[in-house]
Amino acid sequence: MLATLSQLNGPGMDQRGAGHCPAARSRVSVQGVGGNDAVLAARLAAGDDRALAEIFDRLAPAVYAGARRVLGDDAAAQDVVQDVFVDLWSHPDRYDPAAGTLRTYLIVLARHRAVDVVRSELRRVARQERNYRLAPGQPGPTPCEEVMASEAAAAVRAAIRLLPDSQRRVVELAYFRGLTCREVANAVDIPEGTAKSRLRLGLAKLETMLDRQLLEPS
Amino acid sequence: MTAGDADRVVLPAGLRERVLDASLRARAAGQPEPAVPEISPAEAFGRAADAFYGMLCALADEDWGRPALRGLDVQGLVGHLIGVEEDVHRCLAGDPAVAEMDHVESTQPTAARQTGRWPAQTRCDWRRAADRTLDLARAAGGHRDEFAVHGMRLPLGALLVVRAFEVWTHDNDIRQAAGLPASVPDASTLRLMSGLAARLLPYAAARIGLREPTSVHLVLTGPGGGTWDVAVGDARPGPATVGIVTDAVGFCRLVANRLTADRLDLHITGDPGRAADVLNAASVLALD
Repeated sequence: MLATLSQLNGPGMDQRGAGHCPAARSRVSVQGVGGNDAVLAARLAAGDDRALAEIFDRLAPAVYAGARRVLGDDAAAQDVVQDVFVDLWSHPDRYDPAAGTLRTYLIVLARHRAVDVVRSELRRVARQERNYRLAPGQPGPTPCEEVMASEAAAAVRAAIRLLPDSQRRVVELAYFRGLTCREVANAVDIPEGTAKSRLRLGLAKLETMLDRQLLEPS
Repeated sequence: MTAGDADRVVLPAGLRERVLDASLRARAAGQPEPAVPEISPAEAFGRAADAFYGMLCALADEDWGRPALRGLDVQGLVGHLIGVEEDVHRCLAGDPAVAEMDHVESTQPTAARQTGRWPAQTRCDWRRAADRTLDLARAAGGHRDEFAVHGMRLPLGALLVVRAFEVWTHDNDIRQAAGLPASVPDASTLRLMSGLAARLLPYAAARIGLREPTSVHLVLTGPGGGTWDVAVGDARPGPATVGIVTDAVGFCRLVANRLTADRLDLHITGDPGRAADVLNAASVLALD
């Protein structure tokens, strides 16, 4: 049973010297703080905001760098960093220390969030383009819509940057410069079959990130 | 960019504050996640009592004669708990005589009276006593009204959590005597117990004469845990800060004086000696 209030304030309580409890001190040995990921995860689950700050200080630069690499945009990368850490704090149980390091978990989460941002933007622009095609007599895009289309183009470029160099090169030549497969093969100095193969692989990867409608010829 | 390069990236100004603020708006500091359902102190005591009664029902007759605590066998220890409930009944009925009674001494006659009785009689007497505590607590009204028993003066809600704490502690004393595995309270009950223990740390520190001003950041992990910032020692500016991380069940066993701090899985920040003092203070909250 617990001894409490009035008993603890009883006679004798103030008789000991300030902070002197040598017997107690000698009885306990404590280890230094453990920064391992399992402990950090348990602290997050217990609502320890200092653990969140420690994780931010240690891993936010890598999370931010990863997001910026995908998005190519500082403001959007900051939004991703915020999403990632709010998610970690709100749902600490989603991170399983047995499955990998916290660093890997956060960087992968940031990458997924960044790709989601790209996909979302592309879907929006694809819808917009489809609407233009279905209503040819409509007036052209407004300045605001042009700005958004420009952002979409940036998102496409960001997605293409994720491709391996060999595939990225043929995709850029075929889609940004309008070259045929034979012209691409000549430009890169590879057989036409290899150019087609790389183009197919590159598009397949892009399709996992981008809205299929945008890749179809208009 | 290598991993090392990524770690050296300079973050935009204000991003840290923005992210931490947004996080704490999404979930307040101190609150465990997943959240545990909140229950009333009466519910916590009721659950502890049900678990204890279930354990008593599972005991073989020969288990009741096994040595348990302070020279009492299992049956005598259950008798001690009957005696505690009877004093709590008097306390809830407004009898001032129980306010300063000693927790062990006042219940010794009831414990001794169990000798020679059938275990079922002792078990039923305890069940009736626990049920009456709940009935009187409900009749007593608000959980903030204070009651005094065994040297404690506590709001009714805290008193009921203390009762749950003791029943769980002796539940495990008896389990150990009978060779049964230890039990752990459900997360909702444990949350109330660990919260009460955390709030009582300043009194525990005062009791052992720990007066150096210390700001304790206590993190109790696992279901039923949470995070508390507690000021112990004298109220003076510039207290030393100590961070203590350990699991909630282990901390409650420490507070019940059933585990020493050196057997806890601890993670400390700040002065380890000061942390040791605080942990040793926690163990003096137990009366047995």
